[in-house]
Amino acid sequence: MAPPADAEVVTSRRPRARRGVSLRDTGPSIALVVVFAVFAALSPGFRTLSNVQNIMDAAAVLAVVTCGVTFVLMMGSIDLSTPGIMGASAITVALLVANNRNDNDLGMLGVAVAVLLAAALGCLSGLALVALKVPSFMTTLGVSAVGLGVATLLFAGVQPNITDEMLEGWAVERTLGLSHLTWIAVACVLVGWSVQRWTRLGRYAYAIGGAEEVLGLSGVKVAPFKVGVFTMAGAFYGLAGVMVTSQLGAGLVQAGKGYDFSAITAAVVGGTLLSGGRGGVLHSAVGVLLVTVLTNGLVQVGVSPYWQGGVQGLIVVAAVAAAVIPQRRRNQVTK
Amino acid sequence: MRFTSRPAAAVIGVTLAATALTGCTEEAVGTSGPTEAAAACDPADVKLVGQVRNESNPYEAAWLDGGDAFAEQVGLTQERLTYDGDSTRQQEQISQLLAGDTDCLVMNVLPNGDSDTPPIVEGAEGAGAYLVTQWNKPADLNVADYQYWLSHITYDGVASGKQIGDALAEAIGGSGGIIALQGILDTGAAKDRFAGLEESLAANTGVELLDDQTANFSRAEALEVTKTLLSKHGDDVKGIWAANDDMALGALEALQQAGRTDVAVVGIDAVPDALTAIEDGAMTATVSSDGPWQGGIGLAIGYCVATGELAVEDIAAEDRAWFAEQFLITADNVADFTSPETDPADFECANVFNRSQGAIS
Repeated sequence: MAPPADAEVVTSRRPRARRGVSLRDTGPSIALVVVFAVFAALSPGFRTLSNVQNIMDAAAVLAVVTCGVTFVLMMGSIDLSTPGIMGASAITVALLVANNRNDNDLGMLGVAVAVLLAAALGCLSGLALVALKVPSFMTTLGVSAVGLGVATLLFAGVQPNITDEMLEGWAVERTLGLSHLTWIAVACVLVGWSVQRWTRLGRYAYAIGGAEEVLGLSGVKVAPFKVGVFTMAGAFYGLAGVMVTSQLGAGLVQAGKGYDFSAITAAVVGGTLLSGGRGGVLHSAVGVLLVTVLTNGLVQVGVSPYWQGGVQGLIVVAAVAAAVIPQRRRNQVTK
Repeated sequence: MRFTSRPAAAVIGVTLAATALTGCTEEAVGTSGPTEAAAACDPADVKLVGQVRNESNPYEAAWLDGGDAFAEQVGLTQERLTYDGDSTRQQEQISQLLAGDTDCLVMNVLPNGDSDTPPIVEGAEGAGAYLVTQWNKPADLNVADYQYWLSHITYDGVASGKQIGDALAEAIGGSGGIIALQGILDTGAAKDRFAGLEESLAANTGVELLDDQTANFSRAEALEVTKTLLSKHGDDVKGIWAANDDMALGALEALQQAGRTDVAVVGIDAVPDALTAIEDGAMTATVSSDGPWQGGIGLAIGYCVATGELAVEDIAAEDRAWFAEQFLITADNVADFTSPETDPADFECANVFNRSQGAIS
């Protein structure tokens, strides 16, 4: 028994420095290509350039949210605070840039304040998790309610509509064929990937999800990193809330409605495990594209709205099943 | 010590509970009919409660403001309740209310869904609290079977869907392609409104429905769906029919991002942003159920019965469950609706059923 165990030690050290893409990570990408090809074959409207731009634009907000949630999932925690944090940041930014409710005109500073507020709410989730030992499922649900409460207070019965040209321009103006929101999302994915790849925060997020006890035994204080990850996730949700405000031209309390589960779905479809320790920002980005292509494609092909929900669910399950087959053999799929 | 006191505590608890229950039953038996109790209610003792989903929705916020306006008219204040679209919370709030003093309690309630109405009605009936419900009610639940459930008010969704359908057809000159954004598909409102559009399409033969999709009554979803449909149908789209204003506003945003100014958009609900859009000429029409009036009228009916000015027996059968009047808003009359105010005359006991368009069939 000794030699195989020895060999295993050697191989398990290698994946940390893995640079290429291994076979077991390509499942979601293959599923994306297949789904895209099928829709392109079925619908002439789907394969137009304007529709591809459309898909990228539609994926932007979800991609930014998923960047944040991915880090939390990598730690083996879960984050349901998205709707509240996005709502709070959406209303905040709408009230700080030029709008119809007050005379504020802070521009980029307003955006920064909204993102900081969101980061603070995320930090609150993290602190409650590590200091009060409340499971992330409950803390984030609570913080979501806090965020919605803040948003409702600020909303005060009158819809804040933005007139800020810079923020409105994010959704309308295009560079190289993609809206500025899409470029922001691309930047977020790159930032997220860099954090995951090169910083201690990202590396430890992986390690906490993989084997938190081992990390603790080797003298690492994991608590600050957990708080750090939730804070960063909050900042991503805050930016997503700002992006929704830019798209809709108004600060909505419901700006983040449904994004919690869409983002978790996208991350899981992309190959990030709910049990933590596997996946990452690039996986999740592929998952986001897969989910968005599905939504768009079903409309383009002309599937009846009465059938879409069900059909979408079936394809997602099939895609995940196909994506995890290589992992299933290694018994690495979460139960 | 702890172990010995526990059975005693249990006995006392059970006794207390039994006493409380007996008290309730006797009270319910003692009050034979609302007319008797009604005479006992001093106008100053009436407690007014308005309950809607949330105040973060302009329409429902306006509803509660209308309730406040009525309460002020009769020298009272309204208790504002919101349950965030959570059925369980709604039921909890109602049971808390009904556990208190219910002699002169008047409730104007927006049930979260059809299935939430029966327990609210049963609770109010048992406690003897005056209840008016709006929008949601199972079709087989008959208001006339109850003494304290005074009235149920709703709006003919088929009529509103048709009204805006016709306005859209007129705006695009009677011919051309339109797309429809439906609401949450398993709600009565979405089904009725779409049936209204189909009636309108049958009458306006030049208008062609290119596509219908759901955006679940959401502004953000409507934005994405509209962008997709615009890239699918391109310049064939001359108009967009949306089952509510939130979706219409999302569609407007998508049109702006696509640089299209030649598309007519209609919605339902008359939210403030939609009215502004109609004033600016960006939107063609919407339909108003008059939220402030809804907030006041439910309380007004309950108040009239509680103070004895109106007897339940005297309310006509067709006024127990009825369709209220709704208003088509276009550029011509939008100015009348931009700052909605309630008219005190609407809430006088002789006028409370004036807006009836007939019984719910």
